[in-house]
Amino acid sequence: MINRKITLLGPEGTNLYILFQFIVFSIISWFTLFTSVELIEFNTGNILSRQIVFSLVGIVVFFLTTYLSIENLYNLINPLFALSISVLLGLLFTAPILGVRRWYDLEPIGLPVFIQPSEFSKIILVLFLAKILSSGVSLFVALAGILLNLFLIFIQPDLGTTMLLLIVTVLMLFLSDIKLRTSVLGLLIIFSIFFVFLELNLLGNYQVTRITEFFSGEDFSQQQSRLSISSGGLLGTYFTDSSLTEVFVPVQTTDFIFSLFSRNFGFFGVLILISLWILFFIRVSRIINKTEINFEKYLLSGLSILLIVQILINLLTILGFIPLTGIPYPLLSLGGSSIFSTAIIFGLINRVFIENNIVV
Amino acid sequence: MFNQRRLKFTFVSFLILLSLILVDIFQLQTEEFDSTSQTIDRQNLDKFYITAPRGEIYDINGEKIVRTILEPHLFINLRKITNQNLLNYKQIIQYNFSELDNNEINEIFDSKEILSLVINLSNVEYEVRNNLLMNYDAFEILDLPIRQYIQNELFAHTIGYLGKPNQDDTGKFINALRNNQVGKNGLERQYEDFLSGTSGEIIFEGSKIINFKQPIPGNDLFLSIDSSTQSVVRESLQQGIELANKSFASSSEIKRGAAVVLDIETGNVVSMVSLPDYDPNKFITGISDFEYKQLDREQAFNNFAIQGLYPPGSVFKVVAYWLAISENIFPEELNNKDSNIDCEGSLSFGFDDGSQQVYNDWKLEGHGKVDLGEAIRQSCNVYFWDIALKIWRNFGNTEAESVLQDYSRELGFSNKTNIDLPFEKVGIIPDRELFEEWKISRPGLIREEGWLGGDLMNLIIGQGAITTTPLQVANAYRTLLTGENISPAVNINASKIINNQINVSDEFVDFLLKDLNSVTNKGGTAYVSFSILGNKANDIGGKTGTAQNAGDKNNTSWFVGIDSVSNPKYIVATVVDEGGSGSAVAAPVSRRIIQHLLGYDTTPVEFGEITE
Repeated sequence: MINRKITLLGPEGTNLYILFQFIVFSIISWFTLFTSVELIEFNTGNILSRQIVFSLVGIVVFFLTTYLSIENLYNLINPLFALSISVLLGLLFTAPILGVRRWYDLEPIGLPVFIQPSEFSKIILVLFLAKILSSGVSLFVALAGILLNLFLIFIQPDLGTTMLLLIVTVLMLFLSDIKLRTSVLGLLIIFSIFFVFLELNLLGNYQVTRITEFFSGEDFSQQQSRLSISSGGLLGTYFTDSSLTEVFVPVQTTDFIFSLFSRNFGFFGVLILISLWILFFIRVSRIINKTEINFEKYLLSGLSILLIVQILINLLTILGFIPLTGIPYPLLSLGGSSIFSTAIIFGLINRVFIENNIVV
Repeated sequence: MFNQRRLKFTFVSFLILLSLILVDIFQLQTEEFDSTSQTIDRQNLDKFYITAPRGEIYDINGEKIVRTILEPHLFINLRKITNQNLLNYKQIIQYNFSELDNNEINEIFDSKEILSLVINLSNVEYEVRNNLLMNYDAFEILDLPIRQYIQNELFAHTIGYLGKPNQDDTGKFINALRNNQVGKNGLERQYEDFLSGTSGEIIFEGSKIINFKQPIPGNDLFLSIDSSTQSVVRESLQQGIELANKSFASSSEIKRGAAVVLDIETGNVVSMVSLPDYDPNKFITGISDFEYKQLDREQAFNNFAIQGLYPPGSVFKVVAYWLAISENIFPEELNNKDSNIDCEGSLSFGFDDGSQQVYNDWKLEGHGKVDLGEAIRQSCNVYFWDIALKIWRNFGNTEAESVLQDYSRELGFSNKTNIDLPFEKVGIIPDRELFEEWKISRPGLIREEGWLGGDLMNLIIGQGAITTTPLQVANAYRTLLTGENISPAVNINASKIINNQINVSDEFVDFLLKDLNSVTNKGGTAYVSFSILGNKANDIGGKTGTAQNAGDKNNTSWFVGIDSVSNPKYIVATVVDEGGSGSAVAAPVSRRIIQHLLGYDTTPVEFGEITE
């Protein structure tokens, strides 16, 4: 175990690059939200100031996560997983908000926020998978726990997150030396379960309509989202007055924020944002190569896959290639839970960097 | 074991997928850019905006004084009207709504909007509505907000009224155009963006509605005004105006007046009334051209509390009172506020240029022995003229000659009070510079010699070219008592602007309150008006004012009252335009208001006494 002195900027050897990335993405989000405040002409400041507060708290969360050594983290994983399952179970006993049981309302204890436990349970799932795959515990026992986790999110209902976690799980299994034949078989089983649900009408009505609507024609919000992206052109409308022409993208500050971003900053803006993310993952994959510890390899690739798949699903959704999923774009979308969970991911990655003596 | 090759494979697949996405985005933003602009432009034409419900307005006790109710309205989708079904639809409308005449029905179909308003359905039976909707494809029913001013004219000038936006309004207020409604005056205008809400949108593709965005209601406004005080103030002012009409001969009917009640501690407006007034509901239900012009001729749309410009007369003497004590400037041969002059009812004096003049006090037999306090109590002009003369003789033609004007400006005269109401006027504090300007800009108004000692003597008793608003006067008294000139506010959550801060000692405030107290008690100019209160008047204070007007206009009647000198809470400033002597009309109006503020039964406004 590597003991590190605690300094003002986190433990000795804190990697400023990761922190820098986190701050840059946050600032991009502020700028984008700022334009939406102008666009929707309502509740000025509110959205933006909320996001700024979330980002600042996110930085604190980032540091707190960094203080946790990988060894301690490793020992915490089983209890965390159990906690995650119980918190998800607890949701079953809450009153539905907007027709779904997805959030804990913290209003009764004086905080004006909703907490979405699935945002955090997805990180714990990756940790759990990384531990199992690196320790050689019997996969089948563990799989039962993982399927229970997915099932609990599925019945909230939250099809988007379930799909995301399913993909992440399959990809992480794929990274181990598991036989390709086995994984294909597993996938087949999962898909047949899905269709059984569909047949037995166990999917929520709105999920079915979402899917059938998608295949029967273009969804209005996705069509508007494409218009919004397209209207950005090469340079975007941020520096020119565009208040006269409007598109009707719903929830454009959360799930659809990327279409607002592309409208404002054009293709060049998109390139810059995507490049920043690619640079980030290139750095992470270098450490995956370098580290000797299997757990860290699985952890870093699992967290990367989690972020990348979220980004890809979000982009495919707003471009209208797949049905609406409700997956936010990490660090760009408005929302506290999403920012904090991404901050934890960044903090975990940072800790691995520190323990591998990667400075700057 | 961790499989590095499979990780590479995974990341490369991600990269390929991402590249495909980027290619799609690139195509969208380059090749499709032009066609997108056209689509968006077309889409913008296909929009219909629904007025958002405005925020409601509450008084200080949480009583709702302005509300917005939603009522169903019948619309017709003109894109579904063809030559074949036009006649049919006209007949259906005619048959169901006999109150619409042929012209009105034709106008409905001439509208340039996609959805054209037919009629308010709130009084129409459900079956009829349902029948229209079910059987006729082109009808739509939408809720439209209706603004209701619950107390009719009671808050007319403070709250203002709504109207259709003109070009100026749409430039200024972001939601005005789409709501097709804007605050034209009062709080409705001041807080337009806060109250208005964001309009809803209906988006069409051809004649089909493809998307509907609900309007977002505006925010509610909470006022510092107290409804019960407001109605007492309005009644009292009406009684005062009636009284003036009964008591004085006037070339035309006396109609105008204003009253303001300020909370001394906060500077909040407890009541604000201007007469004549109007019913803001008329602008919702429709006001005839004739009626509008008549109200306009009566100046009913002016809020005289902040827009009426009157010479303040003797209520202005407190400025000189403050100046005298602060600068230690007293009549010739006096050196403190407690030494006397002997007022003989007139003042003869000469200036350096050899001119000799005689000024007559309003009380020709004289006030006798008068010190500063007595000069306030009896409103003795001679005492203040003496102060003006001293200023003129000591400082005339130097920088310091405008010391009285400087003190006036410190109290906020000739400046905005920055109350949260639009179109506030500032009035005039005349000085040498202004007269020089006027010689050029308004020739004939000013004599050749420009600013003279006589003008300063006029100014010190609130006469001549000086004009002030009732709110400025109330705010100036508040400033003298608190040392702080802050913006008065009607919205209880308004952020206050500190206009100015002055140095007033506790000792000074005590003197001032004691002397204002003497005005409403035995020997004071307002004694008769307040005598009906008996002992209860012992703690009240105030100052009368009677300002002369040019031409055959009657005097302007002023009174500034303080509810209690031992524990001052409210300042009441009352003006009756052409109401004659302040102690006769404005003072009893204020008295009735103060009765209410102190929780006593109110008694009718009765003629006081002609002094000044």
